[in-house]
Amino acid sequence: MKKIFQPFATVNKQTVMTMVAVQVVITLLLWHTMSAGLIPKPAKVASAFVQLLGSKLLLDNILVSLLLTLKAMLYSILITLLFAYLSVLPFFRSVALFIVKCRYLTLTGLIFIFTLLTKDGSELKLSLLVFGIVPFFVTSFLSVIVNINPQEYELCKTLGYNNWQTLYEVIIIGKADQVFEILRQNFAISWLMITMVEGLSMSEGGIGTLLIKYNKYNDLTNVLALQLVIFVIGLCFDYLLGTMRHWLFPYSKLKEVKAS
Amino acid sequence: MTQHTKEEVLLQATDVQLTFDRSILRDINFCIRNITRPGVLQGQVVTLIGRSGIGKTQLFKILSGLQSPTSGQVTINNNKPVKAGDMGVIFQNYYLFEWRTVHQSLMLAAKKNKALFGREKQTIEQYAEQFQLTGHLNLYPQQLSGGQRQRVSIMQQLLKGSNFILLDEPFSGLDVCMLDKAVEMLLQVSLSDELKTLIIVSHDIENSVAISDTVYILGNEPGKEGATIKKEIDLIERDLAWQKHIKQERRFMETIEEIKACL
Ligand SMILES: Nc1ncnc2c1ncn2[C@@H]1O[C@H](COP(=O)(O)OP(=O)(O)OP(=O)(O)O)[C@@H](O)[C@H]1O
Ligand SMILES: [Mg+2]
Repeated sequence: MKKIFQPFATVNKQTVMTMVAVQVVITLLLWHTMSAGLIPKPAKVASAFVQLLGSKLLLDNILVSLLLTLKAMLYSILITLLFAYLSVLPFFRSVALFIVKCRYLTLTGLIFIFTLLTKDGSELKLSLLVFGIVPFFVTSFLSVIVNINPQEYELCKTLGYNNWQTLYEVIIIGKADQVFEILRQNFAISWLMITMVEGLSMSEGGIGTLLIKYNKYNDLTNVLALQLVIFVIGLCFDYLLGTMRHWLFPYSKLKEVKAS
Repeated sequence: MTQHTKEEVLLQATDVQLTFDRSILRDINFCIRNITRPGVLQGQVVTLIGRSGIGKTQLFKILSGLQSPTSGQVTINNNKPVKAGDMGVIFQNYYLFEWRTVHQSLMLAAKKNKALFGREKQTIEQYAEQFQLTGHLNLYPQQLSGGQRQRVSIMQQLLKGSNFILLDEPFSGLDVCMLDKAVEMLLQVSLSDELKTLIIVSHDIENSVAISDTVYILGNEPGKEGATIKKEIDLIERDLAWQKHIKQERRFMETIEEIKACL
């Protein structure tokens, strides 16, 4: 019991489970006692959540959103890899650095330009998403490249590799597992943007559209239930991408000592 | 003295200086010649000795072409300036690609060695056997112990087949058995080709001097900043080179004492 307040102490799985359970219960209790008036109580949100899960409405909308996010992430990672790999060439270095700085642009100001450039709603949504995600991906990947241990390059040199072979070995092969880590870390950002983007073109539906609708009617219970859904999907993806990374790149996971 | 002749220059360092914010190395001049013995295929083994922090690793980086010196130059094989990749270098901390299994890492090196063409796999297995790593070929570096990593790193650079091999602390972290094996292995390598040249940095003076023909001592001289080669000992002249049981002999121990006193 004392251990959970000690720095760097390792606690066993069972303790972690109980600890988390207690934390969740406390949070729910706090929520229950503090909420009054417009803010719905946890029980109400839970029943709305269950109801939502059973409805076809939710499933359809989730599918639309997920599909869009995945598509956007796929395009984004391809663009990112291209620029990240090229960033080792001085000519493209400045381009990559510019993309990094594009994080400071807000999408809202660019909607009109994108509307002019694209031909329909789904294209608009996709391109806005990609435009929004890429700077974050590139930022993550460049920091991976910057933090490469100089000894990796030295080993390449002693093996007699030229610069292109070094690029291939150290960055393309050596950092392939990081691609998954970047997807995982930035999934949250794409997920965040989707609600905004979907509000722009409501005809195809999606979680974002649903959220906006509920918000409009002040249906706070369903808004919170939907948030819960979004949260859970996020967690699933986090887990899925993590598992895929460890499965595809066994070295990305340290073997743990078997505890009896 | 064992019969031998010193022939063409294999490696030459001329007025090498290295300065970071202060001078680290200065006036480094030496030359390694091809030593030939009648009837024996004999490579060259040089030991470089110096206190910790004196600049041995930096000198290795310069010799191997990974770091260009502030001034001066290093040339190999008939005055060609050395470039990265010309030499096999085993660094102090035995870096390996974390994303490659032991076998893949060794293969990358073996593929670079034209003399091994078509026999890469067998050679790797043979080496692994000698270094007791057969069961570890499919593991990733993270799954190895420090000494195992070190052996993989040594194997990798040997497989590459360069004539020059620089070893920074090859004996640290090896147990008594492995140490004998490693010494034996280095001897074998040095005898495998007339032009093979090993330069060993080691704090294990007895073991490295016992297999060397020349010793360089890197140190500071009073009143001057930066280290230089303070002393060169020709072990062949002293009749201490190429003898199996030299370590037990008095003259050998006296030379070791002389070296230690110089540090
Ligand atoms: N990047 C650097 N910038 C400034 N000084 C450096 C740098 N790298 C090394 N040095 C200095 O160069 C000197 C020589 O370092 P080097 O690593 O060659 O020592 P060494 O002889 O190999 O020591 P050891 O036996 O402990 O490995 C040290 O005093 C160190 O402080
Ligand atoms: Mg060193």
